[in-house]
Amino acid sequence: MSMAEALQTFFAEARGLLLEMEEALLKLEDEPGDQDALNAVFRAAHTIKGSAGLFGLDGIVAFTHTAESVLDLARDGKLPVDDRLTGLFLECRDHIERLLDLATADAGLDDETRDAGAALSERLATYLGASDGDKHLPEEAVSSVERIPGSASDDNVWHISLRFARDVLQNGMDPLSFIRYLATIGDVLHVTTLPDALPPAAEMNPELCYLGFEVRLRSDADKSRIENVFEFVREGSAIRILPPGSRIQDYQRLIEDLPEDNLRLGDLLVASGAVTRRELEEALSLQSGRQARGADDAALLGNVLVSEQVVQPEVVDAALNKQKEARSRQSQESKLLRVHADKLDSLINLVGELVIAGAGLGMLAAREKDAAMVEAVSGVARLVEEIRDGAMRLRMVEIGETFNRFRRVVRDVCKETGKDIELVINGADTELDKTVVDRIGDPLTHLVRNAVDHGIESSALRAERGKPAQGTVSLNACHESGGIVIEVADDGGGLNRDKILAKARSRGLIAEGQELADADVWNLIFEPGFSTADQVSNLSGRGVGMDVVKRSIEALRGTVEIESRAGRGSIFRIRLPLSLAIIDGFLMSVADGHFVVPLDMVLECVELNGKEAANGRDYIDLRGEVLPLLRLKDHFALEGPSSRRRNVVVVHWGGRKAGLVVDELKGELQAVIKPLGQLFSGLRGLSGSTILGSGEVALVLDVPMLLEQALLHESRQLNPLQTDRMARRNVGVPA
Amino acid sequence: METRSEIDGGRGRLWLAGEMTIYEANTLQTTLMDVLDKCQNLEVDLSGVTEIDTVGVQLLLLAKREAQARGRQFRLSQHSRAVVGVFEILNLSGLFGDPLVIPSAATA
Amino acid sequence: MGKTVMVVDDSLSIRQVVGMTLKGAGYDVIEACDGKDALAKLNGTKVHLVISDVNMPNMDGITFVKELKSQPANRFIPVIMLTTEAGEAKKQDGQAAGAKAWVVKPFQPAQMLDAVSKLILP
Repeated sequence: MSMAEALQTFFAEARGLLLEMEEALLKLEDEPGDQDALNAVFRAAHTIKGSAGLFGLDGIVAFTHTAESVLDLARDGKLPVDDRLTGLFLECRDHIERLLDLATADAGLDDETRDAGAALSERLATYLGASDGDKHLPEEAVSSVERIPGSASDDNVWHISLRFARDVLQNGMDPLSFIRYLATIGDVLHVTTLPDALPPAAEMNPELCYLGFEVRLRSDADKSRIENVFEFVREGSAIRILPPGSRIQDYQRLIEDLPEDNLRLGDLLVASGAVTRRELEEALSLQSGRQARGADDAALLGNVLVSEQVVQPEVVDAALNKQKEARSRQSQESKLLRVHADKLDSLINLVGELVIAGAGLGMLAAREKDAAMVEAVSGVARLVEEIRDGAMRLRMVEIGETFNRFRRVVRDVCKETGKDIELVINGADTELDKTVVDRIGDPLTHLVRNAVDHGIESSALRAERGKPAQGTVSLNACHESGGIVIEVADDGGGLNRDKILAKARSRGLIAEGQELADADVWNLIFEPGFSTADQVSNLSGRGVGMDVVKRSIEALRGTVEIESRAGRGSIFRIRLPLSLAIIDGFLMSVADGHFVVPLDMVLECVELNGKEAANGRDYIDLRGEVLPLLRLKDHFALEGPSSRRRNVVVVHWGGRKAGLVVDELKGELQAVIKPLGQLFSGLRGLSGSTILGSGEVALVLDVPMLLEQALLHESRQLNPLQTDRMARRNVGVPA
Repeated sequence: METRSEIDGGRGRLWLAGEMTIYEANTLQTTLMDVLDKCQNLEVDLSGVTEIDTVGVQLLLLAKREAQARGRQFRLSQHSRAVVGVFEILNLSGLFGDPLVIPSAATA
Repeated sequence: MGKTVMVVDDSLSIRQVVGMTLKGAGYDVIEACDGKDALAKLNGTKVHLVISDVNMPNMDGITFVKELKSQPANRFIPVIMLTTEAGEAKKQDGQAAGAKAWVVKPFQPAQMLDAVSKLILP
């Protein structure tokens, strides 16, 4: 554990709290009287502020502090919770998120964020104005008091006189601890323990504190620091601190103030070196000067402070350095265990290797034809499979959290467009791989925004069509044969077939008079730059998006399909694999190397005839269509014998196609994908590696990247006219 | 806390072990006073004390004072490491007046 | 003999930093995420000091301290309450419940170490 790691914990935790805060705020919007929700909002702000302070994120502390103060008023019932307030807090929440983003990126505050923060703080302050303005920022732990020079003569020796409150021991505070602590801020030169106040045994309550202490302390600390040592026991205690340079009169007053016998105390002070015998005698004989003393002393006592920070950074540094050696009990969340993703990944890597090693063992056993051995190995293999599934499940998280984000999206869009829309969530507990969850968020946001903005009609239009005024957008998730299906559905107007066709024709995507099936029409909206929105609204319809959505989904090896009925609504259905770590792949070999492509990117395999192989061109005619080729042997500069027969594996991604020229086709396999080592980091076109049952390594091809390269090659070779033809996409015609 | 006492005629020996802390305040007070009542000359063996706080110190001081008031002998012996530590901090050896043998690291 | 500090806070990052700081200074640390969890973990374990947040789910800090102070085996454990500068009322509630020490949130790790060192040294 290091501070940097704890900081990462804080970021994760703060984001979680912001999510909770948002949910609670949205709940408050529906039910302004919900005290639990209000408490949840407060607690989130409070915890974020507290933790941020621990990491010195002062910007977050300052802003959250103001927000928390307003929330405190609301919690005390001094401020009504209304839409305006929840709206303001949603904005505050967002601002905190921006501050967190900046802190995460270790970036400074940009002007925009600073201005936004100032504006929000001002709006928050209007609420505070009404009360007594609890606006002060947390106190800084710096005391700025001047120090009297020239105290070297008495060597910075303080006199501390301690008579603790009787109940100090019962409160768990031991005077001993404070005296020990004094030794950490200076040298304790002398301690005198005074048992004078001990009552007779019969009257004594042994849990009370009767002892008094006189302490001589040599220390460079300032007075407030020394005073603060006794901060927790000040109440009910008599604690007197005489700074270095205190005069004999000060000691005299001390002696008079203390309960013990004056002469005895005087002797004690002499014994401890606070005053000399002569000084003491002088002091005790001094009967005059009492009147003037008050003001005089106050001036002296008040002055002797040092402009030194109470908190010494070295203490922490030392603490942090030593922590490695310190053994400790592990932290335990009551139910959940927060595990660093790296650890899970390395576990899954190991499991992957276990799977491979197991396969190797299986091969050996089969070769030996030892029945008992084969039996045992298959038992191990079964267990390994279970371990693999278990390990993969560790990475699985529920999609609900991602779904909940959209409550806010829907709310915001509703506010902007004036629509009334309910978001219905089904299957929030459906689990899928964390990486997939993280990366599906953006495409989903786009789809939800589209559904709210374009899908659902205005209330007027809905009334006209005889639909309920409130529109419904639903997010559904469920498992389906080794994958997950996520649907974004709306009960709006559905996609406008005619408009899409018209647009496609005007952009030359389809020929005039060409008829298409519904599914193909809907697919047109995934074309780059395709937008049918009549008006470009603030939310969507900016012409970027659906193609990006589709590409993001395909990058996760997923697919998206559309179902739409005029006047009834649309469903965008996304299918994703459960995990990115193990894929169904297609194995092939080039020269001596093995390569794997994800099976779902493979369209077909064709044999490359001799003529085509020989002409060296980087494209072939595939059933009348130009198919760019990428010769893997050349691309990866592989050495080794080429087979006479060559094959073309036609792969597709994002609506593009290309042929990979390989030597041999090996068939399907389950590939455990491992990251590439440093060695391959410079190679373009690879996305990982996997190990085959034989122990050999196969490289996983990065198909999108290879397609890019193939198209680039091809456009250089073809004449401009052909390039133009290729640049147009084949629309809705799956091969 | 564990206590054990042997009283032989006027001479008594009280062996205290474990924690002489606030949690044991009442037991410790009763034990000390009981034993003190029964003997003219009491030696308190502190060799087994693992922890002592202000409560423990205070009760030893009380016993010492009670003994003196009644004209009895009260002596501390075999101060354990924990006891020595606290006596040094609070500068108590003068108050008790007993020889304080600092145990070597090996025996502590 | 090491001194054991129990850190009760629902924020994992606070527990981590406080825990790390105290361990670094030589204390043993037990973490608990709320009052209930803390009481469960206190059962049979010797703890020399408790640091507790006020605002926590399940069982808040004030209730927790009251409960702690009612247990014979734990009633003299010193408690440092994590308070806010705004929460003067809460601080008083905490004091009344028996938490006589406090550290104001937000705090620096060194401030926490300092407060702990005043009450117990490792």
